[in-house]
Amino acid sequence: MSGAKILVVDDEPQIRRMMRATLTSSGYQVDEARTGEEALEKFREFQPDLVLLDLNMPGIGGLEACKSIRAGSDVPIIILTVRNTEKEKVEALDAGADDYVSKPFGMQELLARIRAALRRAPSSAESGPQSFVSEDLEIDFAGRRVRVHDKNVRLTPKEFELLRHLVAHEGKPVPHRELLQAVWGPDYGDETEYLRVFINHLRKKIEPSPAQPKYILTEPWIGYRFAIPEGSEPK
Amino acid sequence: MSAALRLTIRILASVALVAAIVVVYIRFLPVNGTTVALTMLLAILGIATRWGLTESLVASVAAVLGFNYFFLPPVRTFTIADPQNWVALVAFLITAVTASQLSIMARRRTAEADARRREVERLYALGQAMLLSGSVRTSARDAVNSIMRTFEIPGAVLFTKAEDEFFRSDPQTLTISDEQLRWIATSEEPLIDHQRQIAIVPVRLGGQVLGSLGFIGSTLSTAALNAVTYLVAIGIERARSLEEGSKTEALRQSEVLKAVLLDALAHDLKTPLTSIKGAVSHLLAQPRNAEEEELLTIANEEADRLNRLVVEVLEMARIEAAKFHPDRSSHGVAEIVSAAVKAQEESLKDRRVELQLPERLPTADVDFEFIQQVLKQLLDNAVKYSPPGSPLTITASVAGEKLVISVADRGKGIPEAEQARIFEKFYRGRASRDEVLGTGLGLSIAKGIIEAHGGRIWVTSQLGQGSIFSFALPVTKKEELVP
Repeated sequence: MSGAKILVVDDEPQIRRMMRATLTSSGYQVDEARTGEEALEKFREFQPDLVLLDLNMPGIGGLEACKSIRAGSDVPIIILTVRNTEKEKVEALDAGADDYVSKPFGMQELLARIRAALRRAPSSAESGPQSFVSEDLEIDFAGRRVRVHDKNVRLTPKEFELLRHLVAHEGKPVPHRELLQAVWGPDYGDETEYLRVFINHLRKKIEPSPAQPKYILTEPWIGYRFAIPEGSEPK
Repeated sequence: MSAALRLTIRILASVALVAAIVVVYIRFLPVNGTTVALTMLLAILGIATRWGLTESLVASVAAVLGFNYFFLPPVRTFTIADPQNWVALVAFLITAVTASQLSIMARRRTAEADARRREVERLYALGQAMLLSGSVRTSARDAVNSIMRTFEIPGAVLFTKAEDEFFRSDPQTLTISDEQLRWIATSEEPLIDHQRQIAIVPVRLGGQVLGSLGFIGSTLSTAALNAVTYLVAIGIERARSLEEGSKTEALRQSEVLKAVLLDALAHDLKTPLTSIKGAVSHLLAQPRNAEEEELLTIANEEADRLNRLVVEVLEMARIEAAKFHPDRSSHGVAEIVSAAVKAQEESLKDRRVELQLPERLPTADVDFEFIQQVLKQLLDNAVKYSPPGSPLTITASVAGEKLVISVADRGKGIPEAEQARIFEKFYRGRASRDEVLGTGLGLSIAKGIIEAHGGRIWVTSQLGQGSIFSFALPVTKKEELVP
């Protein structure tokens, strides 16, 4: 998606300058924000297709900004930060980020991740199952709707893609790498913590008891498996 | 005035009083015998109450003799036969004994109450003195001085076990030796030597012995001794907990400060690197002529190197700042090894990695991320310092309570003189420091991590044969194992 609009949020002017130059020359439209508060404001005005968000900023900071944006939008958010511990990554993903790149980064890597994030629904709606119905769970893949106990549940695009891929291979364990590449893109494969966080989100949304999941099961060392309880079927 | 002299004077005074009564009644106030007897009785009562038993007994005998001789008819003779005589003698004696006993008892009670009041006052003063002291040392010193002053004893000495120090009020307390004080603190039995007027008691608080306290020239009651040692114990413990509290608080604050500083430093060093790396890598992606590409590649590689250096220096600083507390949980060897090998996939791609991992190895309590980092570092080194394509071996075994993981390469080996030094910060092997890129921090970080786990890291190497880097970690304790 060339010409896509990217909001760069960072309190460091040199980084914003560098990002504007490189992203513009790669064919994106760029706007900048210096703080979390300004990011929320610019987000409404500029309506970006993607947000590049620094975590360590004065004011409300990156995590809060990420949560606020995610509360009202499905826009892809990529976190850029100097810290790269597992804890930080999980926190960022839990706040609703789609991806995480630690500074300093090669521009080619960042561009690849931007492309992957903008490439929505790589497996199109035609392939794979159309719907899934059980006593307490209804998924309409074509209409991108999920109902749990007859109540609508909102899934983010990444969560929805993850669920679609698992249901498409129901009964079979899907390896971590395959899931990551199917949902995030071909450059991914080792970010198993992404899966942990997103599977966790999914379980909270669709499982009757997330601690003892009956649909999304963990296959130790391998990946995840979608199980169909008795009396339900994919169509 | 000595006690014997005082007693003699009092006895003489008692006899004189009786004589005075006799003289007064014979010469100046002629009255009947009964009045004389009653007056004598009053005098004996007075003597008994005021002075005591001996004086009043002598006075009684004198009174009986005087009464008999001068007032009982036949006057001027001792008539023993008359029963009146016996009545008077018995009356005088009973009065003397009873009154003196009563008064002695009353006086003793008053003295006891007085002594107790004084002890309480002194304990109170001691308690206050102890509460005002600052450190353990000053409160120990204050304790011996206050005890000496408030109880008016020649000397006191305090031994504190934790510091293993002796606090003496003055050199004459050396009659109580260090060994004696230590012994009482160990045996926990008080030693009270009335002959030498020495008391040594253990200083206890809540079942714990803090030391011992020695008194020279002590006439303190057991209750007072107990109270004093209790006060001293409380004072010392209070000072100690205050001292430790401020120490840990200071330590905690400096740790927090270091952590914040390191984070700020990391941010400030990496931010310009991010701009440089972003700009250079972007330019590199565009078509360039050979010269530009070469120069940009150098800039790009050096930015990476600078970043690695920043990461490793900060990591070293963190581990050294003792801020590093491993987040431990039980992990198996296979899990650690496979994760590390997978993470190093790229650099290991033209190497054959042989795994020698026996089944049924115990698990170890480790911080998975950090131990994996150690193993990655060893694998990275093995690849860097051995010929391309040569195989590597990862071995795991159990030695006693330790789990040992080793990485063996077939490189040049490390001269013996250098084997100890390669774990030092910034030290780089003589032979390869110009050939291989590195910061000289990798192994010292690995050492820091392993030591924080209570383990050990070492190398065995033979020139021309290769090197084996090993680390040992304590295995998960049996009782923690899930059956």
